Amino acid sequence: MSQIVYAIPFLFHGLYITLLVSGIVICLSLVSGLLLGVTLIYGPTPLALLVRLFSDCIRGIPILVLIFIVYYGLPQLGLDINAFWAAVLALTLFKTAQVIEYARGAVGSIPKGQMEAGMSIGLTFPDRLRYVIFPQALRRFLPPWINGVTDAIKGSALVSLLGVVDLMQAINEVIGRTYEPLPLYILGALIYFSINYSLSSFSRTLERRYSYIRD
Amino acid sequence: MTTANLLDIRQLAKSFGTNQVLKSVDLSVSKGEVVTIIGPSGSGKTTLLRCVNFLEVYDGGSIKIDGKEVGYRDGPDRRKRGEIDLARIRAETGMVFQSFNLFPHLTASENVMLGLRRVRRKSLKEARGIARHWLERVGLAHKADSLPSELSGGQQQRVGIARAVAMEPKILLLDEITSALDPELVNEVLDVVKQLAVEGMTMLMVTHEIAFARDASHRIVFMADGLVSAEGTPQELMKSIEHNERLKTFLSRFSSTSHLH
Repeated sequence: MSQIVYAIPFLFHGLYITLLVSGIVICLSLVSGLLLGVTLIYGPTPLALLVRLFSDCIRGIPILVLIFIVYYGLPQLGLDINAFWAAVLALTLFKTAQVIEYARGAVGSIPKGQMEAGMSIGLTFPDRLRYVIFPQALRRFLPPWINGVTDAIKGSALVSLLGVVDLMQAINEVIGRTYEPLPLYILGALIYFSINYSLSSFSRTLERRYSYIRD
Repeated sequence: MTTANLLDIRQLAKSFGTNQVLKSVDLSVSKGEVVTIIGPSGSGKTTLLRCVNFLEVYDGGSIKIDGKEVGYRDGPDRRKRGEIDLARIRAETGMVFQSFNLFPHLTASENVMLGLRRVRRKSLKEARGIARHWLERVGLAHKADSLPSELSGGQQQRVGIARAVAMEPKILLLDEITSALDPELVNEVLDVVKQLAVEGMTMLMVTHEIAFARDASHRIVFMADGLVSAEGTPQELMKSIEHNERLKTFLSRFSSTSHLH
């Protein structure tokens, strides 16, 4: 037990890496996913098809396979990439494909007349997105996206397979010294759970906040 | 009435795939004129209206507002206008939609203000003032802070009209604006349109309200099969009934036809 207490700072550093990986992945995938999602809906057909292809391919591959492809594949193409960034890149690709689909679902649910009304008062395309489409799409986008954020945090545990010392790997390493797997795994589960539970509670609060808008 | 046409449509053609909706339409509207398009469904009247602010891309012919081609740049290669160019031209026309298309996340006042702020670049104070003025004009000053979902259909459509006219468009396009309304709500909307007509707003509208068309328009255009089949003042149109079988059939379906006589 004392050994576990002793390992807590180490675990916290692991937690920091987990949150860092998740944070970077979530931010990058949000930007790229929204851009590609908008391209999928409003872009010229060839570009939209490329996005469709990208999204379908990525979502058809197990995330673990994707991580290994990036980690072992890129160096063979001459791209030097360390374990941390390989993991971040693979998770970001995976997450981007999901964000594309959330964005497509949310933006696609807005009636065509909204875009036309925006056109008819002379709003430019970016203004139509910003003032007309996105505010309405937001309430449909947020709940699945926040769910996706919790997925990203849980999924980030896979980076431990590349030897990145995140929370999961830190736990493994402490177990390697203490031979007390159960309490440590429970502790790890509790940490993941408390982060994700607060996120999904937040998501529910948001859903309630937007529910006043009737369809 | 001035001789220069505010809106000039020449040989307009438009197809959806193999279906040619507009074959060759000529139509002009001068400043201050109210022109109504009537015709059976599928005759292309709504498509025609939507071409005027380029919500539909027309393939052939030309549409000019104040002498300026709407959808295409000048020059022989007929390139489509860019996004910013189009937005500027669209701001010169107002449109009121059959299904209102109010922005549901914005209050009535904010619906009117959005274009004033983002397109006309008015100050917040000024935009608010203009919105208040127009909401008052359509009888909805007390609903300025209501969301569209809190308004009746007739009220929503009146906000839709306020949103369009607040931009001071050169011409107002009205696309079957009472078709989605319960019968008892139709008049409150038509009254607003009548008032605008009296004040000299140039309007091009598509409607099934034949009696209203007769009372409010200077000219009525009857469309059939993607062509203008007959046009003239309401009185002139009635005369052409005798030698226009399609017009006769069309009007005979309305119980209000007798009002035209």
